[in-house]
Amino acid sequence: MPLAGYFCARIWVPQVSILRPGIFRSLKPLLALCALLLLLPAMPLPAQTKTLRIAAAADLQPVLPSLIHNFEKSSGAKVEVSYASSATLATQILNGAPYDIFFAANLAFPQKIVAANLAEESAPITYARGSLVLWTRHGLFHHGLTMQSLTSPIVHRIAVANPVHAPYGAAAMAAIQSLGLKAALQPKLVFAENIAQAAQFGQSGNADCALISKTLAITKTMQQAGRFVAVPVGAYPPILQGAVVMRNAPGKQAALDFLKYLQSPAGRNLLATSGLMPPTQ
Amino acid sequence: MDTVALLLTLRLALVTTVILLLIAVPLAYWLAFSGSRARVFVQAVCALPIVLPPTVLGFYLLVALGPRTAFGRGLTHLLGHPLAFSFAGLVVGSVIYSLPFAVQPLTTGFAAVDRGMLDAATTLGSGRWDRMRRVVLPLSRGSLLTASVLSFAHTVGEFGVVLMIGGNLPGATRTLSIALYDQVQDFQYAQANRTALFLLAVCLVALMLLYGLRPESRPRSGDLV
Repeated sequence: MPLAGYFCARIWVPQVSILRPGIFRSLKPLLALCALLLLLPAMPLPAQTKTLRIAAAADLQPVLPSLIHNFEKSSGAKVEVSYASSATLATQILNGAPYDIFFAANLAFPQKIVAANLAEESAPITYARGSLVLWTRHGLFHHGLTMQSLTSPIVHRIAVANPVHAPYGAAAMAAIQSLGLKAALQPKLVFAENIAQAAQFGQSGNADCALISKTLAITKTMQQAGRFVAVPVGAYPPILQGAVVMRNAPGKQAALDFLKYLQSPAGRNLLATSGLMPPTQ
Repeated sequence: MDTVALLLTLRLALVTTVILLLIAVPLAYWLAFSGSRARVFVQAVCALPIVLPPTVLGFYLLVALGPRTAFGRGLTHLLGHPLAFSFAGLVVGSVIYSLPFAVQPLTTGFAAVDRGMLDAATTLGSGRWDRMRRVVLPLSRGSLLTASVLSFAHTVGEFGVVLMIGGNLPGATRTLSIALYDQVQDFQYAQANRTALFLLAVCLVALMLLYGLRPESRPRSGDLV
């Protein structure tokens, strides 16, 4: 955008006659405001309790808020979350992003963090097992809905997450392949950056169907716009979701506490109601 | 490098530039010579894409022009497919996104044409269209070049809108900037580096051409630079 700055400075500004005599007098309050804004970040923030910074795979977007709410109440810590595809977050962390804990949607991406010697653990901790579902908007299929329904000519666009960045996208492609639907469905596939965008493509009506995580499919928004069925579990490799705590993170203790809470019966219950099963079951 | 993505990017930039010139020349002419009160409003609307995040545009293209609205359904019916996930959708997005980069240099160029020459042309019996064709446009060659090169380069550099409405389809919506993003996500840094260097070189050469080919050797007030 530096070019845009040039435009503003070189083309438009002279046209509003910034050099008119006396204009600086009327600009004084504005300049004062700018000076104030510049000073703001330099002021110390109000005494902060410990902050826990979470990097979470996009399938956790509907899952984490209630867990975080409970955790904040019981621990007094403040939690900040960034959602993206597992690969995006792994890339960011490997390049120095300041997160305390990373919740991925598979084991391979947190394994990269372990391999780079940045993790507290010697292997990712499997915190949940995800399910892949087939979602379709209301009114498209009146009878049964199965993976084979996708070959129907009334389905024009099927949204999946990019299999390279997003573990649910990889699972979706594996299911399509193992069910022998690849040739028929390939021309209909559109690729979203992460699983939440795949859901959004469906919800906004731009795609007729979407292969997404159960966590997203059971949200109110997605239920209002359509319905879903589970993709047969044998059709794709289990989606084991792993987490790692960053070894040198300032919020390491809070991260370990949060992970412990997630694995407690209360945490497991909340995960289950959000569409994530315990890893061994 | 991903040659399919490269060719697609060049095609998108070329189509966008041609459409933009067709829209921007009359628009800039009106902005430069009209005394209408609506001018300030239109000028501001044309400049919006410079300041608005591309996500605003992506959001409206995806949702407001998608099958959930009557307008979007009409458009889908007309095209045979939704605007999203298609080359046509990217063209619409790029034309809006790069509009100021065509309109602003042209407006400045047109406004800089000596009014005396226009008056002289009028007294010689030249009409509005004739003045435009034989006086204004030839005297604004530099601005036309600036508008074309910037529209082209800015479209090559588009990312946010494409990420939101593209669907990453090879040959249709996977542009070089998206291919580069995928390469970075996939930890293919060597490939990513090749794509990034290429983009860097293309944009640098385009801008150098722009400055080198300008008829005036020295920067002028009201010029891009």
